[in-house]
Amino acid sequence: MNAYLDYQSSKPIDPRVFEAMMPYFQDKFGNPSSLHQIGDEATKIMEESRQTIANFINAKKEEIIFTSGATESNNLAFFGFAMRNKEKGNHIIISEIEHISILNITKQLVKLGFTISKVPVDQYGRVYLDKIKDRLTDKTILVSIGYANNEVGTIQPISKIGAFCREKNIMFHTDAVAAEGLLTLDVKRDNIDLMTLSSNDIYGPKGIGVLYIKTGIRLNPTIIGGGQEHGKRSGSENIPGIVGMAKAAEIMQKEMDMEIERLLGYRIKLIKNILEKIPRAYLNGHPEERLPNNVNLRFDGIEGESLLLSLNDKQISVSTGSACSSKTLEPSHTLIALGLIHEEAHGSLELTVGRFNTNNDVEAVIKALPEVVDRLRKLSPLYE
Amino acid sequence: MKSTAYSEKVLDHFRKPRNVGTMEGEDIGKGRVGNPVCGDLMEFYIEVKDNRIKDIKFQTFGCGSAVATASMITEMAKGKTLEEALKITRKDVADELDGLPPIKMHCSNLAADALRDAIKNYQKKKGQTSETEVKEEKFSKEIAGEKEFLNKGVYHDASDISSFEGKRTLIVDRGEQSIAAAIKLSKHIPRVVFLTPGKNVSASEELATKLKKANVKILYESELLEIHGIRTVEKVLIHDLNEDTKYELFVDAVILL
Repeated sequence: MNAYLDYQSSKPIDPRVFEAMMPYFQDKFGNPSSLHQIGDEATKIMEESRQTIANFINAKKEEIIFTSGATESNNLAFFGFAMRNKEKGNHIIISEIEHISILNITKQLVKLGFTISKVPVDQYGRVYLDKIKDRLTDKTILVSIGYANNEVGTIQPISKIGAFCREKNIMFHTDAVAAEGLLTLDVKRDNIDLMTLSSNDIYGPKGIGVLYIKTGIRLNPTIIGGGQEHGKRSGSENIPGIVGMAKAAEIMQKEMDMEIERLLGYRIKLIKNILEKIPRAYLNGHPEERLPNNVNLRFDGIEGESLLLSLNDKQISVSTGSACSSKTLEPSHTLIALGLIHEEAHGSLELTVGRFNTNNDVEAVIKALPEVVDRLRKLSPLYE
Repeated sequence: MKSTAYSEKVLDHFRKPRNVGTMEGEDIGKGRVGNPVCGDLMEFYIEVKDNRIKDIKFQTFGCGSAVATASMITEMAKGKTLEEALKITRKDVADELDGLPPIKMHCSNLAADALRDAIKNYQKKKGQTSETEVKEEKFSKEIAGEKEFLNKGVYHDASDISSFEGKRTLIVDRGEQSIAAAIKLSKHIPRVVFLTPGKNVSASEELATKLKKANVKILYESELLEIHGIRTVEKVLIHDLNEDTKYELFVDAVILL
């Protein structure tokens, strides 16, 4: 049996979600744009789904725009908002530890004449409001800070940042993907103007996501076509995906409290045991202000990809922030922003637990990891 | 291609690396090569008899292919003359392993380089041309941002520990008092980085050992170039003297005694 502790990378779809989607591939295949009965049925289920997802984040139905996933939602939020509002200003503030999609989107925006400021984080990965204030100019039109970090799990003071931006009349976007299903999302409480959501991160299907756009905010579309989604995102709607995401949100809303408690138990057990059993092992990220499913560690003298491969041989699936496992051969920008040097970022191990993990999976890691670390340290010139 | 898309041969050498270890002695050449991009490090030891590599050992800090290429080259080099061994290229190693993912070719480059370094070290040893390395000490050099951030993250005095509470602190080597300050601070704050231009910490053995045992991250062969931030110190630019590369390190405080 494979112990899968990489829920941050990909989640299986919940069987109940899968079942709810099935009719919409063959029997209920209508296009909401069609005027006949089959088309009307599609419209009806789409709007019901929209309402379910709106409820999940305390938004209005009209504020939910379906996209193909979180990356597209981030593109729509940044390009759509920036291009529509460039007369008002050309300055955008993000953090040093945003998701790679946002980092690359902002690189493109620089080419289009925008200026980007990156807010540094502390050693635990926390963003401070004061550091945002330091960067504010009269040209600032958008602030975007991830709700929680996808690598080290650090939770940001979103409510505080939202309240500040609202007061200054600057739009506030948050990529909430890493926090979905792990923290209660509430766009009203947190004064959020734009929010990125993914379906797979709440055990829904891939290929569907949402951008929440607060009523009154104007965006240019990034995908142009038949004018679906109020012209903000054209293309025939992915009805099975939409139904699946709504079902996933519905299940999550009901079961979240129980699930969080269980995952938190795993997190605490993993961190405690690993730090006790392995000398010169350290926790990356914040000890408490972190997502209940996230464990991120580093071990002196060990490289992450070697660790990943060795655990893979023991049927354990994990992630690493090591440069060796990335497409660019650069170490994780998040770990560097925490103040780690390359060598330390190199040795990181990320464990993320989820809905279908059992205590056996946790035990398997606790048993295997000390052996693997010990073997690799014997190979290492950096460990005495 | 995925980094884990390795051939069976690569995986075999990764799982059961050959010739791991270190050696010491008169006829031993030692090589050490680092990759500044990804931080890999490799050390090779060769024992030479009658101009042939009689024994060879290695240690590595790196990814799967770093381990496998190092292991493979030890098998390839053993028994060869020094001249033959010097001719082994990264391509030879990769071919012998039934290929590597393209992005990983730099790792096997490292193994060939480290072996060459060990051979050269041996030849130098036997040729008695002991080069003493001269490293300029640049204590008095002006660091960009030093004045701007004075008392806003840059400190000339480390005695008031409360100013460093919760801060990632970088201490630049300015002699024994800076080492003592690093050791003292490490007992109170979680992150202390000590930056020295030398290959070793130059201090009394007692103090140097204390520093290594303390919760202090030591950056050797490095110098501080610039200090950056808005209002307060947020990051610094460091020059890796060995690799001649520059990189950013996020810190909240810099101590220049």
